[in-house]
Amino acid sequence: MDIISVNTFWTIWLLVHLLLAVALLGALTHQAVAAVMPVRQVAGPGGFVTRFRAVPAAGYATAICVLWILTFIVGSYIYTKYRIYIRIPIEQAGYWKTQGFFDFKEHVASIALTLLPAYWFFWKNAHNPQYDTARKMVTVYLAIACWFLFIVGHVLNNVRGFGS
Amino acid sequence: MSTTTSTTRATPTPSLASSTKFKTFAITFAIVGPVIYMVCLFFNWPLFTFHPATNRIALGWEAARSGEGPNMTWYGWTATTLLAGSVVSFLATLLPETVTRKIPLILVWLIPFLAIPYLAWDLRQWWFHP
Repeated sequence: MDIISVNTFWTIWLLVHLLLAVALLGALTHQAVAAVMPVRQVAGPGGFVTRFRAVPAAGYATAICVLWILTFIVGSYIYTKYRIYIRIPIEQAGYWKTQGFFDFKEHVASIALTLLPAYWFFWKNAHNPQYDTARKMVTVYLAIACWFLFIVGHVLNNVRGFGS
Repeated sequence: MSTTTSTTRATPTPSLASSTKFKTFAITFAIVGPVIYMVCLFFNWPLFTFHPATNRIALGWEAARSGEGPNMTWYGWTATTLLAGSVVSFLATLLPETVTRKIPLILVWLIPFLAIPYLAWDLRQWWFHP
């Protein structure tokens, strides 16, 4: 006897993917803002933006790599069901641009995956000014990519996802 | 109140983070990875094709079979990229440091940014679908 239905099983994995993505998005956004607009010294308590960027950014690097890989793996797992139960109806409905953006999402996710070793190395050597520009740019790239992946996933879920 | 915050500086971690060979591997992987992925897309070179309706995996590219649902090549493109990128990056670690030191760091982030317009072009069938 099945404990949960097939729909519930895949919905749980979709939500795991979502939760991992939210954690990744938060960590990457904090880190990217801290990298681009570092807080050197604050006189007084500082406002929301100052506190937002005043995080120990280097300490996020390993967690971000782990989160990206986990999100990628879970996303790859649920992709098999997306291909049959989501993509085919999307194509039948003629949502071509929506489909195009999902393909864009998968490409960006794979390309960003190849940047993780360098990203990790740059942050673990954050004391070395030689890597400052590369570290900032790779972090910003990953943050933009993460926001893009998140928004496309969110829109696709609205088109045909949870509960459909 | 005065608060000093460290946002970008970290104490160097021994081992992997201080390894010259890992540095060469990571930087080479970040440069060749996106290039290999785009080449895989252009020539359609997946390491394998997955057929989700039947859970069948075929080596290389294989068209969707009638009555067996769609095929998926993204896993294969990614696998080709990770495998070929790892091999190239490993080979780069065998080069003398005087050579690997000359690898321009700008390529690590410039190529992924340049990949975006290429990907948009590659997906043009969806943007201009009638």
